[in-house]
Amino acid sequence: MRVRFWGVRGSLPVPGAKTERYGGNTSCVEVRSAAGTRVVVDAGTGIRKLGKELASEGEAGHARVHLLISHTHWDHIQGLPYFAPLYQRGNKMSVYARKRDDLHLQAVFASQTHDPYFPVPFAEADAAIEFNELTDAAKFSIADVQVACARLNHPYIATAYRLTVDGASVVYVSDTAPFSDILFEDEFVARPPSPGAELPAKDRQKLARMREGVVRLCEGADLVIYDTMFTNEDYQRIPHYGHSRPTDAVEVCGEAGASRLALFHHAPERTDAEIDTILAHTRATADKTAKQLEIVAAYEGLDVELGQR
Amino acid sequence: MNLGFWGVRGSIPAPGPATVRYGGNTACVSVKPSSGGLIILDCGTGARNLGITLLEGPFGQGQGEASILLSHAHWDHIQGFPFFVPLYRPGNRFHIFGNAKSSAMLEGILEGQMAPQYFPVQTLKNMGASIDIVAISEGKAFEVEGCQVRARMNPHGRAGALAFRIEDGARTVVYASDAGYGAGGPPAESIALYRGADVLIHDSTYTPEDKKRYADRGYSSVEDAVGAAIAAQVKRLVLFHYDQDYGDAEVDALCARARRLLDERGGRDIDVIGAVEGSTLTV
Repeated sequence: MRVRFWGVRGSLPVPGAKTERYGGNTSCVEVRSAAGTRVVVDAGTGIRKLGKELASEGEAGHARVHLLISHTHWDHIQGLPYFAPLYQRGNKMSVYARKRDDLHLQAVFASQTHDPYFPVPFAEADAAIEFNELTDAAKFSIADVQVACARLNHPYIATAYRLTVDGASVVYVSDTAPFSDILFEDEFVARPPSPGAELPAKDRQKLARMREGVVRLCEGADLVIYDTMFTNEDYQRIPHYGHSRPTDAVEVCGEAGASRLALFHHAPERTDAEIDTILAHTRATADKTAKQLEIVAAYEGLDVELGQR
Repeated sequence: MNLGFWGVRGSIPAPGPATVRYGGNTACVSVKPSSGGLIILDCGTGARNLGITLLEGPFGQGQGEASILLSHAHWDHIQGFPFFVPLYRPGNRFHIFGNAKSSAMLEGILEGQMAPQYFPVQTLKNMGASIDIVAISEGKAFEVEGCQVRARMNPHGRAGALAFRIEDGARTVVYASDAGYGAGGPPAESIALYRGADVLIHDSTYTPEDKKRYADRGYSSVEDAVGAAIAAQVKRLVLFHYDQDYGDAEVDALCARARRLLDERGGRDIDVIGAVEGSTLTV
C-alpha cells in the first residue's frame, strides 16, 4: 500500500513562508492499496489537492472514495466542500465516522454546506454520497482493506483507525490527549487540571482501558501516524485542549512494537525549523525507550510505501 | 486611515510555495481610523495573525475594543473567528456587524461555527471577551469607531454579500469583496457606494476567461474590478480575494492586466495594486 500525506497541520491552515516545507494544510491522509482501493482519512484542507489529482488521473465520473473521519472538528472536515469529485456525477463517496447520540453524521456534514456558510448544499452535490456510522471498536472491510477502530481521548471524542492491506498496517491516531490527566467526553472543559493531579478512579480506569485499546490497535503496525501537536510546555499550559506530545506517541509505539512513527497534526504556530528540532529531539530521546522505532515528521507530499505493492 | 491586509485569498486557504508572496490566508483586513479605534473587515484565516499581533497592545491586557464588519458568512469570511485570540481575553470588547434578518439570527450563524461537533469551545459564550452582535441592512448609515459606515448588498450566492463604505472625515475606504455582478457589470447602487473612494478594495477572484468558466460562482473578474473603479472614479484600486488555485505568478499577471485595462478604458489616473498579505497601506 501507499500512504500519502496531503495535509499534516492541526487547528487551521497556516499558509506562509515559515510552513512551506512541512506544509500548511490541515489533516488529510490517503491510503491506496495495490489493487487500487482508495481510503482517505480526514478531510482537512489537504483533500482539495487530492481532489484535483483524482480529476487529472482520469477517474472523473467513476472515482470511488472511502472517507474515514476521525472526528468532525473543522480541521478534519473543512476541505470537503472543496473536494472536486463531489461535484461530478458518477463518482461515489462513502463517509465513515463515529455514531453520536445527538446528531446524525449526515446532519453534521449537511450543515457545513448550508446557507449562509457555503453556496452549494451537500444534497445538491452530483456524486453519490453515503454515510456510515461506527461504534467505538468497530471492525469492517472496505474491499481489500481491513479497518479496525479505537476510541481516543479528545473533546467530543475522536476515533483511531487501523488499515490493513497488502500485508502491512498503518494506524491513524489523531486527535488525542495522553491518557493520564483528563478524561474527555462531551463536556466543555473550561479550566486545565493540574497535570499529575489524582483523577477519580472511574475516570482512571476508563482512560487505562482507552490507552490499552490504542496500544492494541498499534500492535506491530508498520506505520503509526500520531497527533503530536503539543510540546511539553504546551501540555503543561493547556492539557485540556486534547493533544499529545511526541513522547506520548513514542511510548505507545514502543509498547505496541510498531516499526515507524510519523509525527502529525503539527501546531499552527510551529515553523519548519521548529519541527526539524522537535524531530531531532524526539529521535535522540526515543533511542532510550524505543530503539527500533523509526521516526519521521509528516510533511505534505510525503509518500510511504508499506508491504507488497 | 491605516489599512492592514491579513488575508487576501478567496474560498479556502491556499498554503504552499506557490502562494508565499501574495499569501494564502482568507479574507481579513484591518482599518485603523483617526479615532484610534480598530475596524476589522471579515474574519477569514488571516484574522489569526491579526489577533496574535494585537496581543502586543491593549488586547493582550484585556483592554482592547474593536468593531468587526462581516460582509457575509461564507466560510472564508468567518473561519478565522474561532482562532482570533483577543476574543479569549476577558475584558476585551467586540462589536460585530453583519447581515441577517435579526441580531439573534446573526448570533446563531456565528454560534453555528462554534458548535461542539465542529469546535471544542462549543459556544461564543465560552470565549471570554464581551461580544455584542448587531444585524445591519443596506442603506442606512451607522457609526463605527468614529467613522460613518454605509453598506450595500452585492449579488453573491444565495445570500449576497455586503460591501462597506467607511468614511473617516475626508478619507474614504470601500471594501467590496465577493461581488458577482450580472452581465451589465456593477449596478448603479454599487457604483454610488464606491464613488470617489480613496481606496476601493475589490473582489478580483478571476481573470476574465476564468470568470466565464465559473460565472455561476458569484465572483468578479479583474475586468469587473477595473470597470467598477473607473465608473466610480476612485483614486486607488486594490485587487483582492484571489482564486485559491492562482500562484504568485498568476496574481502578478492579474495585476498587470488590471493596469493595462485601466489604461485602455480611461482609468489612467487610477492607481492599482494587488493586495499582499502582511502589507499595510496608509490613506
